[in-house]
Amino acid sequence: MTENDFSRRDFLKVLGWGGTAVALSGCGNTSIQDGQETVTSYVTLPSYVTPSISNYFNSTCAQCDAGCNIMGRVREGRVLKAEGNPNSPINRGRMCGLGLSGVQAHYNPDRVREPLLRTGDKGETITWDKALGLINEKLNGTKGTEIAFVTGGMSGHVQALLGNYMDELGSKNHFSYEAISPAVLRAANKKAYGESMPRYRIDKARVVVSFGADFLGAWVSPVHFSQQYAQFRKGSRPEGRGVLVQIEPKMTLTGANADRWIAVRPGTEGVLALGIINALGKAGLSIPADIAAVSHEYTTERTSKETDVSAEQIEKLAALLKERTPSLVLAGGAAEGYAHGSQNAAAIALLNRVLGNVGKTLEASASVPFPQIAPTVGSRSSLIALNDGLAAGKYKVVFSYGVNPVFSAPASMKFKDNFAKADFKVAFAQYMDETALAADLILPLDSAMEDWATVVPEYMAAPEGAGSNAYAQMSFRQPMMEKVFPDTRGVGDILLALLKQRTADKYKEFEDFYSYLRSAVLKNKVALGGKAGDDDEVFWNETLSKGIVPLKGIAGSVSAKASAAGLKLPVPTDADPSYPLRLIPAVSASMRDGRNANEPWLQESPDPLTTIVWDSWVEINPKTAAKLGIVEGDIVEVTSKSGSIKTQAYLFPGIHPDAVSVPVGYGHEAMGRYARGVGANVFGMLDSVFDKETGELALNETSVKISKTGQRVIIVKEEGPVGGSQAGKPKIAVQVSADKVDLSKEV
Amino acid sequence: MSVSNLLENWSKFRHTHPVDDKGIPDWEAYPSDIKWAMSIDLDACTGCNACSVACYAENNLPVVGKDKYSHGQAMHWMRVERYWDEGDNGFQAEQGARFLPMMCQQCEAAPCETVCPVGATNHTEDGLNSQIYNRCIGSRYCSANCPYKVRYFNWYNYPEQENAWPAPLNQQLNPDLTVRTKGVMEKCTFCKQRTYTARNNAKTEGRPVQDSDVQTACQEACPAGAITFGNLHNPESQVAKQWQSQQVDLIKDIQEKDEKEGNRLRGYRVLEELRPYPSVMYLERVRESAV
Repeated sequence: MTENDFSRRDFLKVLGWGGTAVALSGCGNTSIQDGQETVTSYVTLPSYVTPSISNYFNSTCAQCDAGCNIMGRVREGRVLKAEGNPNSPINRGRMCGLGLSGVQAHYNPDRVREPLLRTGDKGETITWDKALGLINEKLNGTKGTEIAFVTGGMSGHVQALLGNYMDELGSKNHFSYEAISPAVLRAANKKAYGESMPRYRIDKARVVVSFGADFLGAWVSPVHFSQQYAQFRKGSRPEGRGVLVQIEPKMTLTGANADRWIAVRPGTEGVLALGIINALGKAGLSIPADIAAVSHEYTTERTSKETDVSAEQIEKLAALLKERTPSLVLAGGAAEGYAHGSQNAAAIALLNRVLGNVGKTLEASASVPFPQIAPTVGSRSSLIALNDGLAAGKYKVVFSYGVNPVFSAPASMKFKDNFAKADFKVAFAQYMDETALAADLILPLDSAMEDWATVVPEYMAAPEGAGSNAYAQMSFRQPMMEKVFPDTRGVGDILLALLKQRTADKYKEFEDFYSYLRSAVLKNKVALGGKAGDDDEVFWNETLSKGIVPLKGIAGSVSAKASAAGLKLPVPTDADPSYPLRLIPAVSASMRDGRNANEPWLQESPDPLTTIVWDSWVEINPKTAAKLGIVEGDIVEVTSKSGSIKTQAYLFPGIHPDAVSVPVGYGHEAMGRYARGVGANVFGMLDSVFDKETGELALNETSVKISKTGQRVIIVKEEGPVGGSQAGKPKIAVQVSADKVDLSKEV
Repeated sequence: MSVSNLLENWSKFRHTHPVDDKGIPDWEAYPSDIKWAMSIDLDACTGCNACSVACYAENNLPVVGKDKYSHGQAMHWMRVERYWDEGDNGFQAEQGARFLPMMCQQCEAAPCETVCPVGATNHTEDGLNSQIYNRCIGSRYCSANCPYKVRYFNWYNYPEQENAWPAPLNQQLNPDLTVRTKGVMEKCTFCKQRTYTARNNAKTEGRPVQDSDVQTACQEACPAGAITFGNLHNPESQVAKQWQSQQVDLIKDIQEKDEKEGNRLRGYRVLEELRPYPSVMYLERVRESAV
């Protein structure tokens, strides 16, 4: 190390750095191994690096599937923070807490650092050569039909490479699994509008009625919808300030922001939708005959009785919808997680047709012109297929990448036992999570801030302006610094190495995934916005530095073809007296399905509604709690037919008295120091009930009973003992009625 | 700073406040062409907590864990408070919840400043309530006196003894500011590292600071764009326009909105009646009564 660097090292110590192998080598500054230091002086830094000045590299967030475009702030070879890319039509420069925590996935102290092989109960570190050799050995003599790959939702060139690998293996068993998946929504949208993910235009609507779609929290593309929501709320917009009505048994973040939150009886969302249509007809709106034939049965009186929503409320809502157009009606997880989930979604979709919203606030989307990189979306039904295959002993070698089914499958599926039936299980893993622990070979992955990839989002947001109907985009994910742990590898690199085992010749020109990706991009230069004569190097660098590749996509179309034919909603039945309450597993914006539970910022970031940190809880309506004699902090046992958990009770006004809610994503038994042992895993106790049309697991179909254990804790939360009271102070969190303010001239 | 020196200069500290010793507004005497201020639109704010996480990322805030959190020792400079409507039967959820992002309000007559025995917290020329870490002796009087409870004390040595950033998490730390050690008070600085850079860059370029020069970390992240930040002294800045249109005056404690019924404004400052003259204006959350 040069003398000049000496004071800088002292500076780092002041910051609290330990004596670790600090990978400052992103700029070629320092790498420290075995106590020896190899140093490049500041004099020979790349021309774009000035010590103390940050560089920004465009990339794509990997924390959820929305595919927000981010900029990594990089200084002295370290990425410090993810910020939003202002040119992105998805997040327009903004970030959510989950996305911001991506740096903690990258620098996580509990990442797997070397390939691990399990023999019996013991694990040993092995070299990559040995690991890859072992896979080759196991695959030789295994038929393609006996090999399975389980991944999350995928897209881009990694997906293309995986497709090639599966082809080489002769396997068609790619299972794309998402624990929290909008699979019912996709199917219902396809049927009702002709597209599985049309563009929602909350920003153009005057009224949004959302049946449990938590679009500000965890639904589809929340950062994008938050910006639309901000527009929607602006009184200075030509349509005036928009009105949000949220209908759901358990208040989500979106429900907390609604002008009117309606606690519907769990499962009767479809009934309410038809009741509103009937009320709209009564109020003078013309209802298409095929719909009226079904909806006329749902008189306000009957609807009110079945849904627990007052007749007055239904009529008010119908009046508002009739008066203020265009509106937008959304269906989300709360309405879809039932055996009749698809029917609920279909009934709700009818409202958009009746109100004439299709084409106005529901627009056609566009898809990328290259099918190999178009997103493969995940569902829970694919996990069921995998599980059945495993149970039947069909699969000998199973690969898993980016998913944790051992954690997120209901216990009644016995996934862990079935998984164990496969002879050889390979987990591509960043953490030793529950699935990695059950695997035979663990391959340590690069973080999303160290790896190359391309991403095509499922929900294709578009910039305003001409050509937006055919706008599609591909985004780059690029390394922002050198690897934190030298022995991890990118998923693309691993797949390429595995492909070379099968067919060396075809891929010999590609030294690594980077060269594969670069070559694939340059081959399609013209389609990706370049000109045939452009210099390869210049084109590549420019494309990469922008991070977003706009594509002339294939424009879709939406039509108001939602039909009431075949629509049949079950009449609500009385609850089973031994399990009198409905369990609503809650999906929170930060914890989602639990894959990010080992990022400490997310554990310490209070749940917005309960303000609880570092634990799970069960939300109970104060009335129900009073009946059961439960007070805040009582440790209660929540028992279903399929299992039970113990957790702390939180009395919550935003939940229907017949329902209780527990957040998903907590209760890891493995993964790392911040996730392990925090809270209880509600996935395990879900009953195996499925949506009848899509085969998707019906998340809200589990009934439970609650009993006190006699123990009590003081809940660790942000709010004080007075809860949400402002103690009569006039100026804390002030609210005003819309007719008392003039928003039209606000700046 | 010695105590005698401090006492000698006491009046100087006071003079940077908008109200002089006789309670007369003294805005003209403000010493600088910059006065940082913020406005937060509670009708746009969704309570998602992105601002709070952004603050952890930007300002090297330690994660304290469940045990210390339960003792009220969380270090979140930016927190989102959640309130309910209150009715005869307890909390009401029919119009949702109310969220209030709360951080240091950078008061112009800050109650924390007057009680610091060593002058560790005092007023800067650009209108911030600053905390000088290496002058702080940890008396915590400032925190006791803060009506917003937005000052956070380092009860522990987080970087070393508490291992709040186990390697390699420590590599994420922002080198533009320090990691504070045991025994000092800390709080929101309006991202001082960013405002200083912006001021210096503007000065180098020989022009005044503009809105496009600087964003706070919370403002930058906010998915709904609810936070506006800038120089209140620059009439062209968005924040000045908002304060102006809501007729909120920094140096008054009773605003137009309070004085006249039916003026249809919604700008206010939290606990304004205590007369700390905060630099953060909130816009009331709006709810439609027609449904």
